[in-house]
Amino acid sequence: MIGFLSKRLAQSLLVMLIMSALVFVAVFAIGNPVDVLIDPRATQAEINAAMKALGLDQPFWMQYKTFLANLVKGDVGNSWVYNESALKIMMQRLPATLELAISALVIAIVVGIPLGAYAGLKPDTPSARFIMGSSILSFSVPAFWVGLMLIVIFGVKLHWLPIAGRGETISVFGIPFSFLTLDGLSHLILPAFTLSLSRIGMVIRLVRSGVREVLGQDYIKFARAKGLKESRIVRVHVLKNALIPVITVMGADFAGLLTFAVVTETVFAWPGMGKLIIDSIAMLDRPMIVAYLMVTVLIFILVNFIVDVLYAVIDPRISLTGAKS
Amino acid sequence: MSALLRVENLHTHVVLKDQTIKAVNGVSFSVAPGEIVGVAGESGSGKTLTGMSIIGLTQSPIKIISGNIQLDGDDLRSASPETLRKLRGQKIAMVFQDPMMTLNPVLRIDVQMMEMINAHEKVSKSEARTRCVTALAKVGIPEPERRLHQYPHELSGGMRQRVAIATAMLLSPKLIIADEPTTALDVTVQAQILKEMQALCKENGTALIWITHDLAVLAQIADRIVIMYDGKIVETGTAKQILLKPKHTYTQSLLASLPKAAPDADKGKHIVTDSAPTLIKLTNVHKTFGKQSGLLGKFAQRLRLTTAPLITDAVIDANIDIKRGEIFALVGESGSGKSTLGRLACGLLQPTGGRVEYNGVESFRPKTQNAKQARLAVQMVFQDPQSSLNPRMRVLDIIGQAPLAHGLVSRANLEDYVSKQLERVGLDISIKDRFPHEFSGGQRQRISIARALAVNPKVLILDEAIASLDVSIQAKILNLLAKLRNELELTYIFISHDLGVVEHISDRVAVMQKGRIVETGPTREIFANPKHIYTQTLLNDVPRIDALNHI
Repeated sequence: MIGFLSKRLAQSLLVMLIMSALVFVAVFAIGNPVDVLIDPRATQAEINAAMKALGLDQPFWMQYKTFLANLVKGDVGNSWVYNESALKIMMQRLPATLELAISALVIAIVVGIPLGAYAGLKPDTPSARFIMGSSILSFSVPAFWVGLMLIVIFGVKLHWLPIAGRGETISVFGIPFSFLTLDGLSHLILPAFTLSLSRIGMVIRLVRSGVREVLGQDYIKFARAKGLKESRIVRVHVLKNALIPVITVMGADFAGLLTFAVVTETVFAWPGMGKLIIDSIAMLDRPMIVAYLMVTVLIFILVNFIVDVLYAVIDPRISLTGAKS
Repeated sequence: MSALLRVENLHTHVVLKDQTIKAVNGVSFSVAPGEIVGVAGESGSGKTLTGMSIIGLTQSPIKIISGNIQLDGDDLRSASPETLRKLRGQKIAMVFQDPMMTLNPVLRIDVQMMEMINAHEKVSKSEARTRCVTALAKVGIPEPERRLHQYPHELSGGMRQRVAIATAMLLSPKLIIADEPTTALDVTVQAQILKEMQALCKENGTALIWITHDLAVLAQIADRIVIMYDGKIVETGTAKQILLKPKHTYTQSLLASLPKAAPDADKGKHIVTDSAPTLIKLTNVHKTFGKQSGLLGKFAQRLRLTTAPLITDAVIDANIDIKRGEIFALVGESGSGKSTLGRLACGLLQPTGGRVEYNGVESFRPKTQNAKQARLAVQMVFQDPQSSLNPRMRVLDIIGQAPLAHGLVSRANLEDYVSKQLERVGLDISIKDRFPHEFSGGQRQRISIARALAVNPKVLILDEAIASLDVSIQAKILNLLAKLRNELELTYIFISHDLGVVEHISDRVAVMQKGRIVETGPTREIFANPKHIYTQTLLNDVPRIDALNHI
């Protein structure tokens, strides 16, 4: 286990390093941020002073060196727009996105697993066919359209649910959460459902194919030959095996859910990281973009690590050290 | 004595959209309490579906159309699903072929055994546990307490099959249906399980239906034998009657296709003299699997951060010469290293240590001068003709690919060339545009052989090449191999776990155990007078029909 951890840590650091270089080069190539930031009537002397203040007069490699040195200290610089630590602003926005993504994941699992299991167990029934057809539809329609339709129906026409912002929040350990208040929860429903829709389809399809595959296995026949009740066969023997791929795929997908909630956040004016990055790109706020990308990479690494550990916990045949037990 | 199980005029069909296959077509037989009945037949004879019909586990598209199944006073055909479920496990249980697949990989053994008891009886957890321990001990599993805590992948194939048998016997059913329960196991393990099951059935008065393709196994265990062919029973009788004085021609032909050690005269064996040149020579060959730790890994081990990686010695210090024209057999149980040795002998694997020579030159090392030539000269035929033929390639490409790549034939003449190869193995060029899945197992193996021969090799390595085929097909492929050897002056390395076939076909044999060659010599000598203790057990454990003569 320790061997696995240390190996994984070394790999992660390498990934972070490569990513930082890529991010830096890409952001550097976008253009001179001073042109955007500064008053167009500024004199050349003022522009030069601003460039010096931001460190942009240095050669490229010097800038990268400073950047790396600061990164090691956990400092990606101050946002040029807000003039505050970019990382701090990121962290203020992270809980909102986290809350949205986790809610979407929970909805996807709670709705997707039963529907997928049903479609796998009774594949020839009309309702199973309907579920499978709907699942294709669910990840075919674009999220922004679904979001807009939900706003029109539930917000504008029916006035059932609010359509923008997080609503009332309660702070736990200094982190604000929406789902703890009724008002916050009602704000959360529409964006979370929008974000989860394509994932529901994915879970349904994964569970269904898993169930279909497991049902054909000899150990299911053996379980039937033992005279077990059908409910136990499904619960214990079928689902436990069929859910293994769901966990790996959904786990890896969760990082994507977190970072690419951009569209949903924009549509519902959800004050998360996604909305922040869109604004920052428009302003060419370089430290903000870098902070976003580095946090994203970190999240991906972390989530994948958790998935690997989970996988080993669930499937006894997998061992983290790689050696056969 | 009234019968325990009575099957009358059973019809089980596979109902597909465009056709109905009468897989079980009017089968009637009975089993007395405590009796062991063998049901034998080749693949497609309906023997497995008969078993599945009795226990009521057929699933769409397989349907029981008509017939009567009476078990100990219960009518299984008219019973409700819930009644049937209660009967399963309590009165009737089943053991399946592949022990790797019959236990759920993500559940511990205790969960899988105790749920059987809980499904039928209300007992406390501790009592259920005690019963599981007793049951495991009965089937000869050492340390049953510890085994209960393990997962299936931590047990060997033989152990897993014992667990399955123990589970089936947990509630002392009146009847156990065993579908090829020892086919996937090594002979020594098979011999143990046969003995154990026989004893357990005697002790508990359990009747047993033993479904198998292997008549020799039935000679060891069965009281009565039912022979099935094409969904029907062709002959029923006591084991002695069926195996020693078969009446039906099909039974006779089944028995005739069992390989027997024929006298040298009809084998048409080449007498390979010592002066024949050595074609393949392995000197002190060693092969290990698993990566050695690199510098960083070793450092991590020093710091106790990691454990040393697992390194397996697959082949240890092997010395063999194979002479031109002989059939050299490699025998051993699974994991003995015989397949690895075969792959080393044709350059598919590189040895970790030692020399592999072809024609006196160490020619399988990559980028050596004769590597290409040597590789062409030594070809391989694999066990599973299903997975060794690319499912997306047509026969013409499968056979023509290698000769084209090596410039043995031009594209213009390819069809003629492939036609010749197919003719050799008894197939016709008309199949050239078909895909592997359109053929039977035997035909596929012929295509594999044609593919190997298409580059004019001198040596064929046959790695369990007939193991997955029915006996009658096995006999045909063996005849084909014998014919080809005479025509093309081939040398064979015949890798097999089936000692009967080896005795029948080979000139010399090497016996392998745990990576080492424990004994080498002329086949007749080794079989008549095995010196090494392992060879003796191996030969002892092979089920034989002639054993009946001595009863």
